[in-house]
Amino acid sequence: MSIVTELILNADSEARYPAPKELRIFQDFLKTGEQRIRIARLLAENEQRIVQNGSARFWERVPVTPSNSGNPRKTASCQRDQGWYIRLIAYSILAGSEKPLEEIGTVGIKEMYNSLEIPLRNIVECMRCLKEEAVLLMSPEDAAEVVPYFDLIIRSLS
Amino acid sequence: MQDAITTLINSSDTQGKYLDDASLERLQSYFRSGEIRARAATTISANASTLVTQAVARSLMYTDITAPGGNMYTCRRYAACIRDLDYFLRYATYAMLAGDPSILDERVLNGLRETYNSLGVPVGATIRAVQAMKDVVSDLLGAEAGKEMGVYFDYIASGLS
Repeated sequence: MSIVTELILNADSEARYPAPKELRIFQDFLKTGEQRIRIARLLAENEQRIVQNGSARFWERVPVTPSNSGNPRKTASCQRDQGWYIRLIAYSILAGSEKPLEEIGTVGIKEMYNSLEIPLRNIVECMRCLKEEAVLLMSPEDAAEVVPYFDLIIRSLS
Repeated sequence: MQDAITTLINSSDTQGKYLDDASLERLQSYFRSGEIRARAATTISANASTLVTQAVARSLMYTDITAPGGNMYTCRRYAACIRDLDYFLRYATYAMLAGDPSILDERVLNGLRETYNSLGVPVGATIRAVQAMKDVVSDLLGAEAGKEMGVYFDYIASGLS
């Protein structure tokens, strides 16, 4: 689901053409495409760096956590998940909508990590660390696009 | 439904990958086409009923189909025909805005040929009307936007045949 699909389905539910206001939103959204592609590229290229530095930051704040337990398999799977969330954020940035992140990664997130017996508070802190690392790499303007998606993950964990 | 953005996201996600360069380039050209797509939708929406009238005039009006015994004879059938053409135009416009034809499958084409067959609606004549609509829309919009709309009228026509 993207902002484009959303407005088309809205118009269709009323069997009408998109209204002028909706077309203006559509056009304004597409105009920001360059910036969205730039951010998505930056996240893709720096995923490893964000995860590595984010983990270091996280373990400083929360030393007792599964990813820091000395079990390399646990560390790897935690960091893999962290990388996935960065990828899902890149999708949402491109779509201009929280839907890809929600549909793939936050619906059911609490239930999943609870069943994996990973403390939700720790994941929240970890996501904060990833956010802080990601923001370091970009301009304030680009950061303003990215931050709300990290916050959405954090909100869905609490 | 899908659009130009979500199809690329979904196919990347099933592989667990970021969008590759080729996908990002396709996205970029879609993003750059925003103005032309929005303008085309505005023009079509302002002229929808005229476009249907013109498409019928070009394809069906002066054939046997509107004469007694024809499938557009009786006002009721005529009205049903132009209502369907109206739908085709609106859904083609949605698909053009999305840059993706999936909404046509989901909301128009799935089961349409079977429905038409069971109602006795001639599919060949319907396709001729869709092609006429493609022409009148292209005349109104100009070459570039007309070509993009043409993609979705062709999609409807091939979905019916």
